[in-house]
Amino acid sequence: MNHGPGTVAYVGKVLTAFALAALFFSCTSSNRIEGYVYYRLNASPSTLDPALIADVPSATIAAKLYNGLVRLRDDLGIAPDIAMKWSVSADGLRYTFHLRKGVRFLNGREVKASDFKYSFERVLDPATKSPNTWVFGKVEGAEEFLKGRAGEVKGFRAKSDYVFEITLKKPFSPFLSMLTMPPAYVVPHEEVEKWGADFSSHPSGTGPFILKKWLPDRELLLARRTDYFGDGSRVRGIAYRIIAEDLTAVTEFELGNLDVIAVPASAYARFRNDERWNRYIISLEGLNTYYLGMNTSRPPFDDPEVRRAVSVAIDREKILNTFYEGRGRLAEGPVPHLLRRWKTGSPLKYDPDRARRIIREKGLTGMEAQMYVSADKEVVDLAEIIQAYLERVGIRVKIKQLEWSAYKEAVNRGEPDMFWLSWWADYPDPENFLFPLFHSRNIGPGGNRVRYVNKEVDSLIEKGQYAVDEKDRDLFYQKAEEIIIEESPWVFFWHKTDYVITQPWIRGCRVYPVYSMDKGTEITIHSAANRHETGPRGSVGSAAEDKEVLPSRDTF
Amino acid sequence: MFAITLFAFFLLKALPGDPVLGLVGERAGPEVIERIRRELGTDKGFAGQYAGYLKLLLKGDLGRSYYTNRDVLTEISSKFPNTMILAFAAMLVSVPLGIGLGFLSALAADKGSRFLERSIDTISISGLSIPVFWSAIIIMMLLSLKLKLFPPSGTGDIRFLVLPATVLAIPATATLARVTKTTVIDILRMPYITTARSKGLSLTRINMVHVLRNAVIPIVTIIGLDFGSYLNGAVVTETIFGWDGIGRFTMEGIIKRDYPVIMGCIITGTLVFVVVNLFTDLIYQYLDPRIRLNVKKG
Repeated sequence: MNHGPGTVAYVGKVLTAFALAALFFSCTSSNRIEGYVYYRLNASPSTLDPALIADVPSATIAAKLYNGLVRLRDDLGIAPDIAMKWSVSADGLRYTFHLRKGVRFLNGREVKASDFKYSFERVLDPATKSPNTWVFGKVEGAEEFLKGRAGEVKGFRAKSDYVFEITLKKPFSPFLSMLTMPPAYVVPHEEVEKWGADFSSHPSGTGPFILKKWLPDRELLLARRTDYFGDGSRVRGIAYRIIAEDLTAVTEFELGNLDVIAVPASAYARFRNDERWNRYIISLEGLNTYYLGMNTSRPPFDDPEVRRAVSVAIDREKILNTFYEGRGRLAEGPVPHLLRRWKTGSPLKYDPDRARRIIREKGLTGMEAQMYVSADKEVVDLAEIIQAYLERVGIRVKIKQLEWSAYKEAVNRGEPDMFWLSWWADYPDPENFLFPLFHSRNIGPGGNRVRYVNKEVDSLIEKGQYAVDEKDRDLFYQKAEEIIIEESPWVFFWHKTDYVITQPWIRGCRVYPVYSMDKGTEITIHSAANRHETGPRGSVGSAAEDKEVLPSRDTF
Repeated sequence: MFAITLFAFFLLKALPGDPVLGLVGERAGPEVIERIRRELGTDKGFAGQYAGYLKLLLKGDLGRSYYTNRDVLTEISSKFPNTMILAFAAMLVSVPLGIGLGFLSALAADKGSRFLERSIDTISISGLSIPVFWSAIIIMMLLSLKLKLFPPSGTGDIRFLVLPATVLAIPATATLARVTKTTVIDILRMPYITTARSKGLSLTRINMVHVLRNAVIPIVTIIGLDFGSYLNGAVVTETIFGWDGIGRFTMEGIIKRDYPVIMGCIITGTLVFVVVNLFTDLIYQYLDPRIRLNVKKG
């Protein structure tokens, strides 16, 4: 049978017409707003209500919309924010804050001391459903208020319009640090009452930016506020694009559609080895600790000797420098190097013979241990490396992957023998890496997931919390950390370094050790290099062209 | 519908993982977790929680997300049109392309043009075998990064639509091409085609009226199935291309164990499938008189 060339030509015509139509409709320009800096968020913020914030994307945005009494300085000390100055009583119980005059909410009303009382009590009010009640847990009368036994929190007092006083039950040295966190931001009661549950989408703060547009799961725009009481923003606004996939974010960045991105692990080597880009990488050692936790509540890891054997069986330095491409600093203990003001004793060194000997002496050769990991590709690969190291000293590790929510539940319940986790600072104080993680009061979801119990460590941490003098405090923390390192409930892996890459036209971009430090007021767009309006077609070219004229940044 | 909600609710509760743990962050103690469980009602037993949900549902309310506190119905209403646009666009690519390629392959087979037939078969088998995440990456690298034709991600006008729609269309095109080919080959061997040819009808008329008309039922079935599944969201495509649709929304709900979101998406998905299947069945009647319902008269 012969159908001739007619049919083939017909179908071909249809296909060609379709392809031409697709090309006709395509174009390369991007929808950038002039004067805005474009960032990437890997997840949409859950809420912009400071009382409810428990995730990093939300906290990152909230820092630009709100202010608290105090904020963090670059050296992680405490700087004034809405409070111009403050004093702490000799017994360390009473904090008196003197507020600036003329600080206004977005609705134009001036911030008064009573607003802080309202905002802080709101966090503790059960009706708010805040997960952050622990931030004010040490304030006098907080517990009674939380349990509905008191109409107000006795420890929050507006002494006048511009003087606010907080009284604690017991001295608590990191308290000022905790006041830099989002739950301690001030909110106007009239706006909260007006919007109710939707206050989250209508934030009204005192910060350098205002929320201009929020398309959940897509984009969030912040516009510069002209009447900000501090140093205002140097850009017209900040745009956050919600991009879940790392590869997509990197592509958008390379096309010039994003100005700043955190460098994903998968793209790290590529950017580092690319001369065009490596000078635009900025890095900072993070306030975090990555660890392999061991369940200390049951055999075999209830024995510190066995835990030490696991610690010395793994060549952490080699893993850090090869598998992890040197993207961190080897951990000596739980407290990150940036926060430790003391020297630790000699850390446990890689010694597989010692590990093998201990395991043999304990009669545990060939024992099985279950290691739980979240279903993250990098973590799973790492778990297999650890598995191989432990196999060599006689410990057979079975890896169990779980989806994040199920993983967290299992770890909190104390199900696994071993698990892989990291801890990131809520506030920059060594206490944040000791009390939640190793105090026996916090077993399970509170942070002590290795179920570590040591009365002496408990007592030292508490003494550190109550110590008013910084030197005394450091001494207690140092002793506590030394015991923890000696008893090794964790294998201390590394403190991950944060890497950010910027476009050549961006200046003043920094990596902050704590998300709340970035108010978005330092970043600028270099006008001569601002070629965004050309869209993706020209953007990559601009990066290369600007290379010679721009000053170099922190490089490798 | 009731059975679906009950079954879905049961499955959700049977899954390990607790939404409250994701909600409270890393520092909340057991008492805070218990309090929030109470406030969300997740501390009640299965029957209590399900009854509460049904009550809400009967009022036309899908509840609020545990995480964002936003109304689930409003969220779905804002995302569903995007998913619908993506599904339509994918079908717009896959239907003419799939049918065209399938037809061409069948005609090539019929004509004995082995090279053309094998080329098209290779294309369609590749389209079926290549995972979506891989084709998405390759297409993004090529059309966006190298050729700079389309933006790599975002939700918006046709520029943003081209890449996800193309990726989504690849497996659908391949399936349609396979089905069209086998159906058309069968039809070309039918006596009525020989009759049509012997009557001296034009090639276009034979193909469009006699062949295509008779091949249309299995093709429409495949289109209906694909369209129904795309309307429930294409998780991987939507995530990679940042398309703000139902698929991504559902996936995030599942990861976070955001029960109201998951239930809302399941209910919407079920409704969509019912409507699309009903619509497909109705179309059958018009396409093939033999399928029309027998209505006995007097």
